[in-house]
Amino acid sequence: MQSTKSSVGIIANPLSGRDVRRLVTKASVFQNAEKSNMVLRMLGVLGKMGVDEVFMLPDVSGIASRVIHSLRHVRAAEASSLPRVTFLEMPIRDSAADSLKATELMKERGVSVIIVMGGDGTHRVVASASGDTPLLTLSTGTNNVFPEIREATITGLAAGLIASEKVRVKDVASRNKVVRCEVNGVRKDLALVDLAVSTECWIGARALWEATCLRELFVSFAEPDAIGLSSIAALVHPVHRSDAYGLRLVVAPPGEGFMTVHAPIAPGVLVPVSVAEISEIRPKEIFRVETPRGTIALDGEREIEFSDKDSVKVWLEMDGPLTVDVNKVMQKAAKNKVLVQQREG
Amino acid sequence: MSRKISYKDAINEALSQEMERDGSVIVLGLDVSGGSGSEGQKSDAWGGVLGVTKGLSLKYPDRIIDTPISESSYLGAAVGAAACGMRPVVELMFIDFLGVCFDQMMNQAAKFRYMFGGKAVTPVTMRTMYGGGFRAAAQHSQVLYNVPTHIPGLKVVVPSTPYDAKGLLIQSIRDNDPVVFMEHKALYAMKGEVPEESYTIPFGQANVVREGKDVTIVAIGRMVHTAGQAAASLAKAGKECEIIDPRTISPIDWDTILKSVEKTGRLVVVDEANPRCSMACDISAKVAQDAFKALKAPIRMVTAPHTPPPFSGALEDLFIPSAAKIEAAVKAIL
Amino acid sequence: MAELKKEDLLKAYRTMREIRDFEERLHKEFATGKIPGFVHLYAGEEAVATGVCMHLNDEDRVASTHRGHGHCIAKGVDILGMMAEIYGKKTGSCGGKGGSMHIADLDKGMLGANGIVGAGGPLACGAALAAKFKGKGGVAVVFFGDGASNQGTILESMNLANIWNLPVIFLAENNGYAESTGVKYNVPTPNIADRAAGFNMPGVTVNGNDFFAVYEAAGEAIKRAREGGGPTLLECKTNRFYGHFEGDAMTYKAPGEVKQQREECDSLKIFAAKATASGLVTAAELEAIDKEVAALIDEAVEKAVAAPNPTEADLLTDVYVSY
Repeated sequence: MQSTKSSVGIIANPLSGRDVRRLVTKASVFQNAEKSNMVLRMLGVLGKMGVDEVFMLPDVSGIASRVIHSLRHVRAAEASSLPRVTFLEMPIRDSAADSLKATELMKERGVSVIIVMGGDGTHRVVASASGDTPLLTLSTGTNNVFPEIREATITGLAAGLIASEKVRVKDVASRNKVVRCEVNGVRKDLALVDLAVSTECWIGARALWEATCLRELFVSFAEPDAIGLSSIAALVHPVHRSDAYGLRLVVAPPGEGFMTVHAPIAPGVLVPVSVAEISEIRPKEIFRVETPRGTIALDGEREIEFSDKDSVKVWLEMDGPLTVDVNKVMQKAAKNKVLVQQREG
Repeated sequence: MSRKISYKDAINEALSQEMERDGSVIVLGLDVSGGSGSEGQKSDAWGGVLGVTKGLSLKYPDRIIDTPISESSYLGAAVGAAACGMRPVVELMFIDFLGVCFDQMMNQAAKFRYMFGGKAVTPVTMRTMYGGGFRAAAQHSQVLYNVPTHIPGLKVVVPSTPYDAKGLLIQSIRDNDPVVFMEHKALYAMKGEVPEESYTIPFGQANVVREGKDVTIVAIGRMVHTAGQAAASLAKAGKECEIIDPRTISPIDWDTILKSVEKTGRLVVVDEANPRCSMACDISAKVAQDAFKALKAPIRMVTAPHTPPPFSGALEDLFIPSAAKIEAAVKAIL
Repeated sequence: MAELKKEDLLKAYRTMREIRDFEERLHKEFATGKIPGFVHLYAGEEAVATGVCMHLNDEDRVASTHRGHGHCIAKGVDILGMMAEIYGKKTGSCGGKGGSMHIADLDKGMLGANGIVGAGGPLACGAALAAKFKGKGGVAVVFFGDGASNQGTILESMNLANIWNLPVIFLAENNGYAESTGVKYNVPTPNIADRAAGFNMPGVTVNGNDFFAVYEAAGEAIKRAREGGGPTLLECKTNRFYGHFEGDAMTYKAPGEVKQQREECDSLKIFAAKATASGLVTAAELEAIDKEVAALIDEAVEKAVAAPNPTEADLLTDVYVSY
């Protein structure tokens, strides 16, 4: 038994998986009912790992209410091993502000880890405030690069192993790189994977699914098996999450670059992208955006509009969120036989 | 004019000839083709639940459209398509199903022209089956033609013979207002003389089925034939009945009815529907108001009782107005 | 992602301003008792109608709602005729026989505002079916609210549209309230877009107060429908600044709720800020539109007030084409 109470946070973004990519690409709709089921599967294993309390993001979109409803109707035998579920007391805005506020509150409560369920966008918001609290990332949807695509039970198990100190965080967690930007000297949101400069004037429906509007791309890492804009760089020059550099890629008008990459920039979308330049970038090396008017897309979503009156700077940093490698957690658990009981005698 | 075909085939022929003539005529309804999306016969598997549209989907495969069991959506879609230049014929399998889609008929189709200041044209024909005799019980036997008749903006057609069915259906399809076309399920097999060529029967023109001087019997739909049996029996006793089939009840040919009552001085209205707020009441009230002085006796109404249609044959036979009841009503005022 | 040119931006702003001023003025005039009947104002939701209808032409059909003034204006219905109609005058769009809830102009593709919640779904399917037979790429849009999302007609229409692959856009205007009842109570999945999954159709949620978000998403949905790709459910989350109907004291809204929405979510303010920051249009150009629209609304009210009432003869006409 733990001497002090152990706790875990779960942020399940009810808004993820509903953007325009459902329409313009073949991106999947991730039902909130399934997110609730994932939470319930995780609660079961968290309880069995001895986690006392789970803090959750309240929401108006059915995830929380389904969890509450299910917990009320759970069988008695099962109920005894469940952790206490506490919904954070906070105003609900039904926007990214909710995930941000929940992250701050969970940090205050001293949770061991925060499990984040959502896409790159949700993770970006949580990462901007998570500081030294490690994150366990879980993808809900088809167009994510940063979070892990994994069965929630295992993520829950990993969280439980850490919260109960059966596996030490420092052995399994590492810092991520991020791409940061500022506009007229004001720091804006970060990108976990890629920051794209597009000539689209408006944030509009947010997602970017056409390559013709791309001008520049900054990536913190680039995995050749990833979906999204980072794939353009990854298929030319893979960069690992742990490498101490990123990439900058300048897009040329069709056919005018020194090479053309056929990249899966969105689910179901494989398009040629002409590349004018590609180079490694070092942390804190500052790049000024020369495109006169357009939008900055963070992890594939347009977030910042700018015009020729604005000064936009972009750079790579090593101070991103601390994330837990679930694979490493389970390797440690196996090696140390944490989940194995030998028969005595 | 010697060719005899059934009421059902007359309707089928009217649809076929209008579809041939006008590419904007489409037919929508449950199983109007039948077999769509099935593993067996994919087209014309049924041709309507009782085969009224049989064969049409082979001739006009794109314009005979099977619908889901979703009356509000497909009846409303027919109304919407009519307002956008099509000439849909939509089938509501039984008038009893009006309850699940009435809004689209009552508040949409019927109202467009008036509430949009005379700018809308909604040429939709809503075919539907009504009436008793099939032991189909309370939710598949009602008459209900009085319901759309109450709604300004709708026209209501109740043909009693194969000849009228064809001519009135062609008129309904060509008509620029929403029309509810009522088909009695017990008449489908009835045969009668029907010209092969296309023809129309104007709305608002009653048919004097039988001339007589003693009493006027206004009968609607299938009741025209029941009244005919009563009249034949009464004729043997020397009583001459004049039978009027209004054929359309909105608009209705008041002139023919009033003239007849002025001649005979007596009125029996035969209506298969329930009695309250019925066509029987409507016609009786009109005659009482406009031809009171001509009346020599009280008006009599022969209708179903104020009950839902029963299931048991023993009860349904009592429920539906019979020739005997009509005869008794006539005798009571002669 | 269609590019918006300067004239497009000015047109969008003018439409949004026309809707806002039309509604704000009605709110004022209603309070004087001069306007008969029930009036449901669209103020606050301008970006939705405008962002959608900018992609439509007169051959495309729109089935609207009881809160239909915005859709009518965005679809090009004459504002003077609309105002006169709301005053019940003979010069109104419908000769004074329809009123606020039934403004229609079939020549403009406006199939009518509709007093029956959810009734537009089947009508839009029919309009889309007709467009499919015509084969010229026409589409139909049905606007409906979070309340109507629970009506069988809407769900049945989503089914019909998908099995027949109709060029229909189901445009859910989620303003948070079905009359006085909150969406949290009424809808088990407050993202109405989630319901699309049950019909195997794309379901998208966008910020309905951001013209650019609506414009882009609606543009993609309409393009897809025109090209034979079938229906889309597009949910625009928005807010209404006034009650369900005029005279509604809005006791169900939190103190300061509307004030906050007017400060933070005003579609016109958001538009003006973005459009001027882009450098494509100037504040002076927008102000000039404000002045022109104010004059137009003044003219509309003056003319409506002065216009003749319909006469007894009008009572009996236009029930049928012929009878």
